[in-house]
Amino acid sequence: MTTQASSAPVVKAAKTRTIRVRIKRCDGPAKAQRWETFKVPVGAGANVISVLQTIGANPVTVDGTPTTPVVWDSGCLEEVCGACTMVINGKTRQSCSCLMDVFCPNEGDEITLEPMSKFPIIRDLWVDRSRLFDSLKRVKAWVPIDGTYDLGAGPTEGPKQSELRYTLSTCMSCGCCLEACPQFNLETDEREWDTAFIGAHAISQARLFNDHGTGKQLKGDRLDALMGEGGVSDCGNAQNCVKVCPKEIPLTESIAAMGRATTFHAIARWFQSND
Amino acid sequence: MGTPECITHEHEVLIIGAGGAGLRAAIEAASTGVNVGVVCKSLLGKAHTVMAEGGMAASMGNVDDRDNWRVHFSDTMRGGQYLNNWRMAQLHAQQAADRVRELESWGALFDRTRDGKILQRNFGGHKYPRLAHVGDRTGLEMIRTLQDHGIHQGIKFYMEYTVLELLTDGGRIAGAVGYDREKGRFHVWKAPAIVMATGGIGRAFKITSNSWEYTGDGHALAYRAGAELKDMEFVQFHPTGMVWPPSVRGILVTEGVRGEGGVLRNSEGRRFMFDDIPDLYKDQTATDPEEGWRYVTGDKNAMRPPELLTRDHVARCIVREIREGRGSPHGGVYLDIAWIKEKMGKAEAHIRKKLPSMYHQFKQLAGVDITKDAMEVGPTTHYAMGGVNVDGETQMSTVPGLFACGEVAAGLHGANRLGGNSLSDLVVFGKLAGEHAVKWAQAHPTPTLDQGQIQGVCRAALEPLERDTGESPYEIQSSLQEMMQAKVGIVRTESEMEQAVVSIAALKTKAANTSVPGNIEYNPGWHTAVDLPNLMVVSEAVARCGMDRKESRGAHFREDHPSKEPSHANHNTIVSRGGDGEMKVERRTIPKMPDDLAGIIKEMG
Repeated sequence: MTTQASSAPVVKAAKTRTIRVRIKRCDGPAKAQRWETFKVPVGAGANVISVLQTIGANPVTVDGTPTTPVVWDSGCLEEVCGACTMVINGKTRQSCSCLMDVFCPNEGDEITLEPMSKFPIIRDLWVDRSRLFDSLKRVKAWVPIDGTYDLGAGPTEGPKQSELRYTLSTCMSCGCCLEACPQFNLETDEREWDTAFIGAHAISQARLFNDHGTGKQLKGDRLDALMGEGGVSDCGNAQNCVKVCPKEIPLTESIAAMGRATTFHAIARWFQSND
Repeated sequence: MGTPECITHEHEVLIIGAGGAGLRAAIEAASTGVNVGVVCKSLLGKAHTVMAEGGMAASMGNVDDRDNWRVHFSDTMRGGQYLNNWRMAQLHAQQAADRVRELESWGALFDRTRDGKILQRNFGGHKYPRLAHVGDRTGLEMIRTLQDHGIHQGIKFYMEYTVLELLTDGGRIAGAVGYDREKGRFHVWKAPAIVMATGGIGRAFKITSNSWEYTGDGHALAYRAGAELKDMEFVQFHPTGMVWPPSVRGILVTEGVRGEGGVLRNSEGRRFMFDDIPDLYKDQTATDPEEGWRYVTGDKNAMRPPELLTRDHVARCIVREIREGRGSPHGGVYLDIAWIKEKMGKAEAHIRKKLPSMYHQFKQLAGVDITKDAMEVGPTTHYAMGGVNVDGETQMSTVPGLFACGEVAAGLHGANRLGGNSLSDLVVFGKLAGEHAVKWAQAHPTPTLDQGQIQGVCRAALEPLERDTGESPYEIQSSLQEMMQAKVGIVRTESEMEQAVVSIAALKTKAANTSVPGNIEYNPGWHTAVDLPNLMVVSEAVARCGMDRKESRGAHFREDHPSKEPSHANHNTIVSRGGDGEMKVERRTIPKMPDDLAGIIKEMG
């Protein structure tokens, strides 16, 4: 009972400093974007969210011009929900886990914040990501079951078997992979969503459900969706998606796997149609 | 002032909230073919459920076949100090396993036993390993599965909308009025049945694990529509939240860390939880660290370590250590999982496999490697046991046509909730609420909307934008949070709660006189201003109920009445809005438990 605790956490000195924050602002859909720069005092442990809150309490730019508080979206603040995704120093990521002690450790350091560019802007750093759900519908990312029969004791599944699905299921629909993808483009016209490149997120979710015991029933439909225009063959193999995924999901493997599966599916379909 | 324009929608069942309970209710309602709408404050899939970590309790008996619904029922009642709605505790224990299997069939993943069954883990207050889980991200898995299952059911989702008020027609539910956060346009939803699934009230306190959405909206909407709230004095403070750095203060550290063998130590290195074990749990608690370790590694003959006692007790022990000067540098205590390397090989890999999100969270947000160093943790406001008073069978509130499920509903957890009983609560009662809302909607003709009521709500909502001068909503919100944390927190007294009620009255006056610069399109200041009346209702309810219960029971601890009082053992505390608009508190005797359930309690001890 008297065992000593493991060494206490290393506490960095609470060095207060003033940093410069450049933010790409926008007053609403289809309005012009502009840059504003703020000087913000930060202490130890600050992250982008606390910096934005500090700005919100006193929204005055570096040249003394009063402005409005910056708008952004957030949810869990622990990198689980993906709501606070934005482009920080040119790279897409969650802002809650972006620590100032790492990004701006010294007096006068600068950080830039921009909204994701592949989704329509609502305001400032907040974008409309409803296309993510449309993509999931496009690939039928669900298990077709209506709950009308007794499920019994449930299937058994070995840990090895579930290992792949385990990784794929960590996707939180944050949009990082789409922002980084050169083939996935901003599309404000909803009618174009079904033919524009769908992106790694939905392809990987289709793989997750194709690998599920009952989800397999819709395997053909999912592959049909991925064979169509804007499907898996539109991937340009830039491999940016896998580099930015905060959950380290093997997205390029998923794209390759679904690419192979669509090829087999096409051949099988060709034979069927020639019966 | 002109007449604000409203966009009107019509649904047979309207769900408010899109966390686990709301989505499950929506799926159930939509499966019957009725027209379902879901209104939520944030983007789909980002609700607070996503943050749940440890798992969902269900007596599947996969790890220990002695488990069954009767043991789960008895554990839930004991944890709730027998103030629970026993019918809800029974339904929950009986149906949780089916709901887990249903999620599995909808594509949810679970960690597995060696023979391929769903693995179950230990959690505080549960006699056997009972929590079905996916690492420590069970909430994400649940919400992803429900979201994926929900998007193809023809449910209409209103994302980033806030509901301002419920509408009634001769005392029964007629619909709701609210606005979209993006444009600030007013919307009216006409619906004969509404399911409230808005979650909790954590944002009434300064230190909380809850997301920004948790401003007690559902509690307050129901209360103002005439519904009763129950047991509001019981607010659970989770013993382990992050305390450092300040930007993450309050964020949850899952109980799963302790379930996997994590121990609590003070600055002297002492496992202080062994120093204070309540009588009710003496025969279920390990006598020494060795037995505790055997328990977490699956020895069925060992008793659980004291770190896995109920949350209220662990939280108070931590507060005691901090108050008596044995805390960590940032005002917490140490939670150590790294120590298990003394007991097993490959401990680092084991920790990363079992607690991947915790590993990631501490590494990313605090720069701490939990496989090497101890974490600093302290209590954080986590869960409201109290909420809308509902009928155990149907989940209907005292307002006809208004249903509630999940955290916003009261009853299942009594005076204290066991870990893991929340995720199962969401899906068990989400399903039941959805089912009964459909039945109600089909049996009752379309209600009539009162245009005067709608206009009144819209005009009141616009007032903060129309005042040139007035109070800042942010300042009122933070004063309230500071005050609630200090006066109605983990340790309470009559005089402090009295002061709280006085402060709330003053803050209410200020909240009725806010001024917000800017226009109606996405204006966070305005959103904060319209949330304030809701925070005031729940804060007042917690303080008033807390004053009425002059004893310590479950999560409600009073320094001036430190023990349980038999005179309080058999009633719930009910809050409602009196005819004069003032809050009324009354005690209501708990109905007698039927003999078969009483027999289970007696048998399990």
